[in-house]
Amino acid sequence: MPTAIFTIGRSGLTASRRSLELTAQNIANAANPDYSRRNLTQGELVMTGSIGTNAVDSLGGVRPGIIERAESGLVQRQARDASSALAAAEAEFQALREAESALETSGVFGGIVDYEAALTRLQNNPLEPALRLSAVEAARKMAGNFRIANGTLANARSLVQAEVSAETLTVNELAKELAAINADLVGAREGTAGRAALLDARDKALRGLAEEFGIQPTINANGTADVSITGTPAVALVTGATAAAVSVTYAADGTASFAVGATSFVPAGGAMAGRSSALAEMAGLQVELDALAGSAITLSNAAQAGGAAADGTPGQPLFGGSGAGDIDVVLGSADGLATAPAGSPAGSRDTGNLAALLASLGAASGPSSGADRMLLGLSSRVAALETRSQGLAVVSSSAEAELLRETGVDLDSEAANLVRLQQAFEANSRVIQVAAELFDTILGLR
Amino acid sequence: MSSVTNSTGSFFNRSLAQMADLRSGIERTRSQIATGRKIERGSQDPAAAAQLRSVAQREALASVEGDNAARLGQDLGAAATEVEAVTALLQRARELALQAANAPTGADGRQAIAAELEQLSQELFSRANGTSLTGEPLFAGQSSGVAFTRDAAGVVTYAGTPESGAVPVAPGTAIERGLPGNEVFQFDLNGTPSSAFAVLGGLTAALQGGAPDPVAAANAALEGIDAALDTTNRATTILGTRMAWVDQVQDQQGDRKIALAERRSRVGDTDIGDAIARLQQTMTALEASQAAFARVSALTLFDALR
Repeated sequence: MPTAIFTIGRSGLTASRRSLELTAQNIANAANPDYSRRNLTQGELVMTGSIGTNAVDSLGGVRPGIIERAESGLVQRQARDASSALAAAEAEFQALREAESALETSGVFGGIVDYEAALTRLQNNPLEPALRLSAVEAARKMAGNFRIANGTLANARSLVQAEVSAETLTVNELAKELAAINADLVGAREGTAGRAALLDARDKALRGLAEEFGIQPTINANGTADVSITGTPAVALVTGATAAAVSVTYAADGTASFAVGATSFVPAGGAMAGRSSALAEMAGLQVELDALAGSAITLSNAAQAGGAAADGTPGQPLFGGSGAGDIDVVLGSADGLATAPAGSPAGSRDTGNLAALLASLGAASGPSSGADRMLLGLSSRVAALETRSQGLAVVSSSAEAELLRETGVDLDSEAANLVRLQQAFEANSRVIQVAAELFDTILGLR
Repeated sequence: MSSVTNSTGSFFNRSLAQMADLRSGIERTRSQIATGRKIERGSQDPAAAAQLRSVAQREALASVEGDNAARLGQDLGAAATEVEAVTALLQRARELALQAANAPTGADGRQAIAAELEQLSQELFSRANGTSLTGEPLFAGQSSGVAFTRDAAGVVTYAGTPESGAVPVAPGTAIERGLPGNEVFQFDLNGTPSSAFAVLGGLTAALQGGAPDPVAAANAALEGIDAALDTTNRATTILGTRMAWVDQVQDQQGDRKIALAERRSRVGDTDIGDAIARLQQTMTALEASQAAFARVSALTLFDALR
């Protein structure tokens, strides 16, 4: 029947046009990182009519099937986990690098060394006013450097805290978005372009969440994703169409604690885990810095108390305050430096007390060794984190490449498809033309 | 569809990441060359940064110790000059005592000798209270006041402390600042404590008529002057030894400064030749990688199909 040829040609035209549309869609989204390659399935259309045992087939051409979306749950998951681990290491690395520059550039170590050097110079001639003044000024500079270090460390801490707060909002937005997508997915029909787009959005939201927290998603049969945050304990974030809210609070020492609803948890992965452990390390650094300042204060003031000033009176405290934040020179005049041992007469050039102070400052438990140890420990930690995040970056980028290979658009194969489908379209139109000619031939019979 | 393709996005991502790596390597080498420092932050090489910190600490202390040694050398030199002058003065006093002990020298001659001895006593007193370049007393020990005081009766007493204190000039090395006056001008004469001032003062008084037998007094004073000379000679030796020690320490400080600078340079400075070769190598790699990227990214089927 010539009409059957018309129908077959028309179905072929429809199928190849729709495939062409999808190819164009793939090419247009070649640069879209959240897009997963689409493909149109096709099925043969055969109608079979039977009367008794006599069956007759009538060919109906092709039937455009469903829109298939390239997906691979396993590779998606690998990429998510790798990016989660990378985000954790990188967030911690960035935060601690801030702390490292804060402590290195504030010159705490240099300040302590200069203070010791000025005191050593004073031993030469303990009564020379210029040397006494320069020793007091070196003490003032050291105190200032401690306060700068304290301020820059607080600054680095508040930057990390601000990032944690901001990213918590992002996580809550993503969770809400995912819940909304879940709700839409329940109603979306299998094999439609709309469903494929929803699945793209779902995977995007999951990737976004995985960057911030280590997550354990459960993909249900209808395509919806339930997400729980890994941690101690693991907590549910998105269940079906409902999303819980993550909240964060900061302790007095700057460390962060997270909660979903009323359940508090310690995150086990993602940038939040990195930031949270960076905040804990910063709290440790703050304690160390305060201890250093405290030891400089205690040693200097104890030496002052055990000695005699230039006028023979008992030495008064050199430093006030108790930590890096409030250390300051309180000694009114440079004459008050107690260089001589207690009981020395006025104008004594005895440097016994000064030598004792220098010995305790330079001891292995003194502030300069302490500052050196603190900086060495911190920079080793940062170097280790850098190496770690470089390694994880390689893992993550290869997982990403793997994911793109599975789901991304290959322009060469799309170009080949374009040619193939164009030819199919032309061939189908040729079929219609032949059908028309056949029809004309029949009509032209005389 | 489960076919695996070579995604275009993956190719671009990979190429960009590799070129960014090369570029950041070039940036780092360039800043190493520009600043001359291999390490910008401690975490680039924690061990080297710790070494640099300890070198910086040693350098700061070494520079202060160098200043201390230089000033100590000056102070010791000033003290030695004074002690040498005192030795010359005592030798002159000994000659005068010898003359006075000579019987033919008449009463007038002894008066003249007494006048000169009085002058010498004055000079001795002012030299004993000599000060350093910065105005500190040279022979007062750890006291900042005058070393010797003289009361109305002309009796000179030591007002300083018996210790002069030490100045640190190198790690673990402290050198005594000088000699306290009691070790330069006071001595023990036949079991009784005496001093150069007492000997000269006593002789002057005896020659001015304070003693019935000036010749015997002058003879007796010779022993005291000899003891005073012994004491100053010993002081000269001690001061000279300490100055030699300071010189030696200064030499060592110079050597250590060079060693510290070499160490700092080895640990923290950029090896320019190496850095430039590395820069050139990385730049060649980047250029090649860019060229390859341009060639490969042009290989698309869309160009072939026309």
